Amino acid sequence: MARIRTALERDGHAPPQAPREPVPVVDDAVARLMERGDDLLEAFVRNAGAVGFKVQRLAADGLLKAIGTLLSELQAKRVVIGVGTLPQALGLRDALRRRDIEVMDWKNPPAGEASTNRSPMDGQFDVDAGITDVHAALAETGSIICCSDAGHSRGLSLAPPVHIAIVRKSDILPDQIDFWRKRAGDIAKRDLPSSMAIITGPSKTADIEGILITGVHGPGAVHLMVIDDA
Amino acid sequence: MTTPHEGQPQAQSGATLRTADLPAATATGFVPGLSASEPVALTSSVGKLQGHDILFPPLPYDIHARAQAATHDTQLQQFVHNATYLKDQGRKRIFAASFGERYDAMRELGGRIKQHALDHLDYYLEEWIDRATEAGVQVHFARDGAEANAIASEIAQRQNAKLCVKSKSMVTEETGLLDALAKVGCETIETDLGEFILQLDHDAPSHIVTPMIHKDRTAVGRAFARELGVPYTDDATTLTQIARNHLRQKYRQADLGISGGNFLVAETGSVVICTNEGNGRLCTSVPRTHIAFVGIEKIIPKLEHLSVMLKLLARSSTAQPLTVYTHVMTGPRKATEPDGPTEMHVVLVDNGRSEVLRAETREMLRCIRCGACLNACPVYRKIGGHAYGAVYSGPIGAILTPMLRGLENYPDLPHASSLCGACYEACPVKIDIPKFLIKLKKFQHQRKLSSFTERAIMKLWAVSLHWKWSYELGGWAQRRMLRLQAKAGRDRAKPYSDRGYVKQAGGPLAGWTQERDMPTPPSQGFRQWWRQEQVRAAGRKTAVESGTASHQHTSPDGCDDHAHQGSQH
Repeated sequence: MARIRTALERDGHAPPQAPREPVPVVDDAVARLMERGDDLLEAFVRNAGAVGFKVQRLAADGLLKAIGTLLSELQAKRVVIGVGTLPQALGLRDALRRRDIEVMDWKNPPAGEASTNRSPMDGQFDVDAGITDVHAALAETGSIICCSDAGHSRGLSLAPPVHIAIVRKSDILPDQIDFWRKRAGDIAKRDLPSSMAIITGPSKTADIEGILITGVHGPGAVHLMVIDDA
Repeated sequence: MTTPHEGQPQAQSGATLRTADLPAATATGFVPGLSASEPVALTSSVGKLQGHDILFPPLPYDIHARAQAATHDTQLQQFVHNATYLKDQGRKRIFAASFGERYDAMRELGGRIKQHALDHLDYYLEEWIDRATEAGVQVHFARDGAEANAIASEIAQRQNAKLCVKSKSMVTEETGLLDALAKVGCETIETDLGEFILQLDHDAPSHIVTPMIHKDRTAVGRAFARELGVPYTDDATTLTQIARNHLRQKYRQADLGISGGNFLVAETGSVVICTNEGNGRLCTSVPRTHIAFVGIEKIIPKLEHLSVMLKLLARSSTAQPLTVYTHVMTGPRKATEPDGPTEMHVVLVDNGRSEVLRAETREMLRCIRCGACLNACPVYRKIGGHAYGAVYSGPIGAILTPMLRGLENYPDLPHASSLCGACYEACPVKIDIPKFLIKLKKFQHQRKLSSFTERAIMKLWAVSLHWKWSYELGGWAQRRMLRLQAKAGRDRAKPYSDRGYVKQAGGPLAGWTQERDMPTPPSQGFRQWWRQEQVRAAGRKTAVESGTASHQHTSPDGCDDHAHQGSQH
């Protein structure tokens, strides 16, 4: 720190001062790419498709059936679920059980495993899909945002080969700028989750000769179930 | 880490850029004429050095051997050229599509945010340390690479760690972390696909963002067959699948996860990493302990500033609206959270940066390691990344490396440029790279680091510019000399023709013409030609004037320029 202060030509002993000149402001006229007035649902669906998400638009009451059908198509046997208190997803567990799909309880790993040195995320690798709601979505880039909390593990959207995310119309924000402004309260209270992931498409690489391949380390397919709850 | 962009899709999910505009490119590998069944060794001619040592050649570093080898390696050039050309075009297109005329204002804003943070780095670093500590992060400060490695080694030893998974980080390349961890019995696996391949093949990254830009898939296939014992294949999808399965096991077994950091957010104590493959999230989430190596210059004041920086970073590096995974980490796993590391360490690495922080060179530290200047640079396209002999290559490397590792150790780098300005145009935070290239040359001169001959010639030139006669004499002598040399090489160049080339000059130009041809100068200089043109034009004018004398007199303002000029002669 002393060397930094020397380079900045600070007086040797004074504690660091708050900057006198104003902190640069994120100027909407320059940085904003999506306005509030725009048709956010349309824009989100368009941009999410462009970054490689598989998007289905549904009525709220068609959600459980659509997820069930998709999982049957994928021949999924075991899934993990973290849908918080999403009212539209009530009954999801029962619906899956009726289709003989096992819902793994990632919060309480089977006894015996817990005592070993294994990562709490370990069990989430051995399932066929992770099903989640989202904390927000961005129309600007077609991104979804998944944060960790008591009801949401990090692994849900990361470890299984397929991620199915439920996006409500009311989750969609115009621009990334709006997401950070919305979290201003949490920032002030210093109450941020340990992990916030802005996800923009399936896991990708083009490291080998620029050839685009999906599903390197994260999910190779991400299905968005977009429901109109307005 | 700078840019832990693991994968580099060249466009948003294949929509815009992929291969559309470049005929030479195909979706299945972009080197035409290189048959897939015919494995060709691509070497960037780095001598006997292997792996990490490629980036740490003996000092002082002489660029010529590697640059010369690279300019004779047409395949390497084709690979690097095609890949960088595509990325450069993609970057321009996506910026035009999203920001249009606001492009310049946007990078101005990005530059201002970074500059503000650097101008008050002491304040924002303290703020970041306070917030991160509150969130449960164990913060360490490392003066140099050795200190940083010692901190990580000590953590690994305390945890009795045997296996470590690591995502892409340029800072760990700077410090040589992998070797240090190996010494305390902890094996480290690179998980970024490109870095994983390079590690298997005992090679080193040659691009900040796309580390294996210099390698083709047959080389990957051979490395996998040799090191992983799988049947040879050069199908990129199969190769990726092999790597995925291999690395999944490693994540689950690993005791330690290492990452870099693209940004540190002062107001929240967060570390942000941007990746495409997902290995960054896995390395920072699965193992019980996470260590992030981050340069001290990565600070930005507020989370809101991320929206500006992320929009710039993803577009500049891979022509994406955002990288696939932007991971904002604030402390280790909380008590209520189901997973995540229980211990999170951040090692703030100085390693020469506080020297660069001086007012004169501070602007260089704005760099967000997007790689756009590499992709735009005509010199990088010719010689590739390894020729720069350091962790950071391309235009930004040409100014940053001499600052971080000593100008006396890298005397050629400020000259490895054409000063064309493409890097400045491409820079999302508006670092005036050409200005710094010139500044470094000035430092070399002031510190007498340039050779005596060079200084003598420059001095002579400066003196000759003082008088008209000496300037013209110098010009005449140069033309004369080069034309004589063109004549000497008459088997190739047509002697005394204005279209001929000097293939091999003598004296101080000998080195320059080894890789290039110098056009033969015309027999007369510009001033001589201009004088003759003036006389000729005057002749024509006089002829016209005498023919249309009556018309001239009726001209309303009566001060026709040409008439005046003509009359002066």
